[in-house]
Amino acid sequence: MSIKETEELILNMGPQHPSMHGLFRMVVHLEGETITKLEPKIGYLHRGMEKLAESRTYAQFIPYTDRLDYLASPHNNWAYVQTVEKLMGVEIPERAEYLRVIFGELARIASHQVMIASTALDMAGWSAWSYAFRDRERICDMYEMTAGSRLTVNIMRIGGMSAEPPEEFWPALKSFLDDTPEMLEEYYGIFFGNEIALGRLKNVGILSKEMAENLSITGPVLRASGVNYDVRKAEPYSIYDRFDFKVPVRTGCDSYDRTIIRMDEIVESIKIIKQAVRDIPEGPVMAKVPKVIKPPAGEVYHRVENPKGELGFYIVSDGTTKPSRVRIRPATFINLQMLPIVALGWKIQDVVAIFATLDAVLGEVDK
Amino acid sequence: MDVASEKRLREEEALIEKNVLVTTIDKALNWARGHSFWPVTLGLACCAIEMMATGGPRYDISRFGYEVFRASPRQADVMIVAGTCTRKMAPLLRRIYDQMPEPKWVIAMGSCANAGGPFVDSYSMLAGVDKILPVDVYIPGCPPRPESLIYGLLQLQYKVSNPAKVRLMRHGK
Amino acid sequence: MENNELLKRQVEELASRVNGEVEESFGVLVLTVKAPYITETLTAAKQFAEVPCDFLHDLCGLDQVDHFEVVYQLSSLRGPQKLRVKALLNRENPVVDSVTRIWQGANYLEREAYDMFGIIFKGHPNLKRIYMWDDFEGYPLRKDYVTEPIEVRNIVRQRIEGE
Repeated sequence: MSIKETEELILNMGPQHPSMHGLFRMVVHLEGETITKLEPKIGYLHRGMEKLAESRTYAQFIPYTDRLDYLASPHNNWAYVQTVEKLMGVEIPERAEYLRVIFGELARIASHQVMIASTALDMAGWSAWSYAFRDRERICDMYEMTAGSRLTVNIMRIGGMSAEPPEEFWPALKSFLDDTPEMLEEYYGIFFGNEIALGRLKNVGILSKEMAENLSITGPVLRASGVNYDVRKAEPYSIYDRFDFKVPVRTGCDSYDRTIIRMDEIVESIKIIKQAVRDIPEGPVMAKVPKVIKPPAGEVYHRVENPKGELGFYIVSDGTTKPSRVRIRPATFINLQMLPIVALGWKIQDVVAIFATLDAVLGEVDK
Repeated sequence: MDVASEKRLREEEALIEKNVLVTTIDKALNWARGHSFWPVTLGLACCAIEMMATGGPRYDISRFGYEVFRASPRQADVMIVAGTCTRKMAPLLRRIYDQMPEPKWVIAMGSCANAGGPFVDSYSMLAGVDKILPVDVYIPGCPPRPESLIYGLLQLQYKVSNPAKVRLMRHGK
Repeated sequence: MENNELLKRQVEELASRVNGEVEESFGVLVLTVKAPYITETLTAAKQFAEVPCDFLHDLCGLDQVDHFEVVYQLSSLRGPQKLRVKALLNRENPVVDSVTRIWQGANYLEREAYDMFGIIFKGHPNLKRIYMWDDFEGYPLRKDYVTEPIEVRNIVRQRIEGE
């Protein structure tokens, strides 16, 4: 019996769809179950942050950066305040730098936990989801002790940190770090050791090294394609040159490597936090900065390694209290370009997994 | 009638009083509706993460019977608008609402859904989902804590189970 | 340091070829050229000897009131070199060549610049609005864009078939 040609089917997934992380819509052209064309449609969460920045003062814009990549909000604060500090030439106290590293790496762990949880959830793995969320709550608690908020923490200021962590923060951090090996063991067992997860992730969605570079892809997705590049090593910002850590690189280029590389990164983050807790000096957490922040005219571009890729801020100042232009270089917006190329030829259910391994947060994609 | 049979009759009456409830159908329906909402997962932005945390192991929304998050609006009866609604999304949000079967309720979670929040003066924002949907409960916060969401759902439960009382409260009595 | 000097020499050489200007801001070389030269400039920058700036980091539009700029942030995955290239565009007729042939990754970034500034990228495979809906009027990030009043914004747009 010969297979007759089937008519092309156009399927519209999203914006309200359980496997889309937020308001992402894709138009999928199918032949049978195989994808022949994929068009991502974004912008359903476009809030116009860059325009809003032009009518806010420099300090007023910090809370908005929280809402970019809301799974790792301290990182966004960090990228923004460092850019402004670079523009103004502010030196911040040692203790604040260490605290920034601690919170930044905690945010990286929390973000990767949500990534693992949502990848599992997209493959209908409820238990892995609840394990990861259970552990993430402890990080939220630590945010809350210091900043008073669980998700959008707004913890950094131009010139330092908003507050000194309270006494109970340090024992909580220590017990969290002590429990992590066990926690990771659980994820390995429940998700990465799962036959279904392996079957759906291994050798699916190959993104070659050359393609990744040509598409300007950054972050764990790039490193899972065998490129050893991390801004923390290549161009150490803050005090990352003082810590001893490895940059996990995998060469599988498939969905599985893009997922499991986050586990390796959690291990490295824990190493960094342990060193930071060991070395942290006493002292103030806020430098002396003028009440009214008025950077000199000029322009500066600064980037940091966000859990999802490189987050860059390009600020053009005209010497007034408000920026003339704030450009946000969102990591996942650019990483998303790989989806229509990588998904070609795969089945519809694989696309869900490939999209999950990108770890797209639509707050950051749409700004 | 002898003493023994009268005693048996009294015992039966007491048993009936203990175990049989007399009520109106409306009341029974409202009670059932209020205690088992099926929310549609409409995670728009940051608040969606807090909504997920509410369903997670620590806050465990299933203690109240609301854990059946449905992906399809056709199976749900309460819509938790968790996050920012932009002008691009607005007609689609309305469409999802229209697809829900009656009776249906809407919870606006977070400042953006309430009134536009920090983004209110942006060119692409809809200032509050109550411009397009009838909202029953507003939960302030940016984002609201999981406890706030649970409190909001309990407020909705009160509203659903006591329609008359809520009507009176609205008229200031 | 040697790396920097090597880059600086090549950038200056390139600048003389494409009538550009080189300046330095916060340790990054900035090369400003006129829009017609942009393809030549970026192709050359990608093939610099020993210090190739072969990774397109970011691309964005910039409104300088009297003219537009398109800013390209270049770097490399194999070295510390960084270069910022600016293309100067006419405000009345903002047209520039697309760089999607050099870097495929410029695709969405150019669409975004088109959406926000109305800059037209010649040769782009799919130049459509990316964030705003198709019938949206105006280019929001231009300095002369006036945000509509809240009453107008609260009028719900028509749903496009298929959404």
